[in-house]
Amino acid sequence: MAQGVDKVRSNVADQASVTSKENSAVWPQKQGSMKLLIIEDDERMADFVLRGLKEHGHVVDHADNGKDGLFLAAGEKYDALIIDRMLPGLDGLSILKMLRSTNNFTPAIFLTTMDGIDDRVEGLEAGADDYLVKPFAFAELLARLGALMRRPPVSDVKTEIRVGELEINLLKRIVTRAGKVIELQPQEFKLLEYLMRSDGRVVTRTMLLENVWDFHFDPQTSVVETHISRLRAKIDKGYKTEMLKTMRGVGYSLRAE
Amino acid sequence: MLNSRVFKTISVQLTALQSLIFALCFFALLVITYLTTTAALRTQMQTEIRGHLTAMMEEAKTDGAEAIIQDIKESLTQTSVNQGYYFFSDATGKKLAGNLDNIAPVDGWRENGVGTIAASQGSVNDDDDRQIWAEGVHLPDGSYLLVGQDAYRLLSVQEAIINAFAWSGGVSLVLAALAGIVLSRGFLRRIDDINQTSLAIMDGRLKERIPIRGTSDEIDRLSANLNQLFDNNQSLLESLKQVSANIAHDLRTPLSRLRQRLEEARTKANSKKSYEAAIDDAIVESDQLLSTFAALLRIAQIESGSRKTGFRTFNLTDVFSRVADAYRAVAEDQDKKLEVNLDDDVSFFGDSDLLLQMSVNLVENALRHTPSGTTISLQLEHTPAGPVATISDDGPGIPADQIDKVFEHFYRLDTSRATPGNGLGLAMVSAVAKLHDIVVALENNNPGLKVVLKFPKP
Repeated sequence: MAQGVDKVRSNVADQASVTSKENSAVWPQKQGSMKLLIIEDDERMADFVLRGLKEHGHVVDHADNGKDGLFLAAGEKYDALIIDRMLPGLDGLSILKMLRSTNNFTPAIFLTTMDGIDDRVEGLEAGADDYLVKPFAFAELLARLGALMRRPPVSDVKTEIRVGELEINLLKRIVTRAGKVIELQPQEFKLLEYLMRSDGRVVTRTMLLENVWDFHFDPQTSVVETHISRLRAKIDKGYKTEMLKTMRGVGYSLRAE
Repeated sequence: MLNSRVFKTISVQLTALQSLIFALCFFALLVITYLTTTAALRTQMQTEIRGHLTAMMEEAKTDGAEAIIQDIKESLTQTSVNQGYYFFSDATGKKLAGNLDNIAPVDGWRENGVGTIAASQGSVNDDDDRQIWAEGVHLPDGSYLLVGQDAYRLLSVQEAIINAFAWSGGVSLVLAALAGIVLSRGFLRRIDDINQTSLAIMDGRLKERIPIRGTSDEIDRLSANLNQLFDNNQSLLESLKQVSANIAHDLRTPLSRLRQRLEEARTKANSKKSYEAAIDDAIVESDQLLSTFAALLRIAQIESGSRKTGFRTFNLTDVFSRVADAYRAVAEDQDKKLEVNLDDDVSFFGDSDLLLQMSVNLVENALRHTPSGTTISLQLEHTPAGPVATISDDGPGIPADQIDKVFEHFYRLDTSRATPGNGLGLAMVSAVAKLHDIVVALENNNPGLKVVLKFPKP
């Protein structure tokens, strides 16, 4: 094994990663252990991410340079890759392009710095599935990894999603809770659809801005909060259980109970 | 007065070069004039002497040698400056007449060996004795006749030419040198003005400017351009100063608040919950700081123009309707109304992400600075001059004297900075507008503020 590659295995290792692979084809998949590779040269950042991910029961490999990273990413099966944009030896963009050119479509999250705002487009064009601007909250990374895992295969087009009593018909654009029809504004519908697709996972404010409104910047006013509270008033008011939950400092999640 | 710097100026160097070329031309002219004039005079003298000689020979043919002797004697009795010189000898070499002696009987033109005239004679100011130029010929009877003239005429003309050239050349050179010095001192004074101003500005006196003469010559134009540069420099420095002061304020305040809270938590917090609350506050505070940084970097990036590579044609109506959709509910929650009136399919060439953010910032700005009950109107229309977007409100508006300042970095009407926002929203609008050549006009909506975006024609 090349120097600088530091393999870390958690105690649930192999069994868990097998489970996750079996489940990944099946939508949706509950919180499970993932096998991840982080390619990041900044030791403190890598350590921070590594510890966090291990605490959440994931198996994480780490490479501190581009060449080792590419070697690992190409040789092993991972559920997702976390790749820093700027790396010694081989940069993140090149790693991803090489992987994609060999038909390796392991989901990848790009880490970029604040001053490389255009990196988003470049990264996505190179084949990244998501990007994250440093510095980021750990919860943000975790939520995005979760989102990558539940991303369905392209062929799997769902017309109906169900979470507990809540049902959404994407074709007829009808929402019901316990059989009762709920009238939603288009924005609220889009928001609910995204939350339901997330299947109980936490989604962050930034993820909602990007995926529901396609805002790739941080507006100063409460667009997300306003729509969440309106949606909550429509789907939760008058029912015993509150499905749309706010996770303080992290984001939101929609759960059956 | 004439310091050594004068001689180092370009104009003195040019003058010197010009004088040198002038002197060379002058010298060439002198040489040509001298040579042609000398040649002409020599030919003239030769013709005259030959004529004299021929006339005497003609007389000798009919009247014999006596006629020549008589002729010479007659000529010699006349005293004139232009007196001739003669020598006549018989076939044995015995002198018969003339005012020259010991002449070798050689035929043809001679400029030497005939005789010399003392320098004191005649009016030529020459120290050297003059030669007599002559032509000799043997007559059919073997006698020898030589007629000559003082070369005075030629020499005096040569001397006159040289004198004339020397004087006029000398005077011209002196005048040229004087002109060069005068010109270069004028030039130098203006260069000095530029130098002094530059030094003053380097010294921190940013308001100094180079005096303009109004002649619109090269130096005037250079000075005007430099003044323009100094103007830009001054306004850049001033805005930088303002930005630094604002950054110091905007970043120091939350940073010290952050520190204060952490310190407070360190000394006072006694439960897990209070620690958590302190940490949450700290995270919110640092997120705010990070977003201010991100906004600054983004503005810098937009201002650098690097985003232009990603320009493409997109539907502007879609962008504005997305903004309207996102903010309609936000406005309602604040008891405000968002009126939207968009022409269909307005397209524009640019960066759609930046245009989205620009419109979001303007709508947020209107929401943030108006009281409840306000109607905010968002309009987009096709006009012959290109798309025009209007974001207007019927709120309190902006005082006329502050309208220009609102687009500066960090500028806020509320100087206490109590309202949320990093003060960079409109600076970003301005940067995006500049990148896309969009003209932003702030107008009074009577009441309220009207922001008009005039997009360039596609």
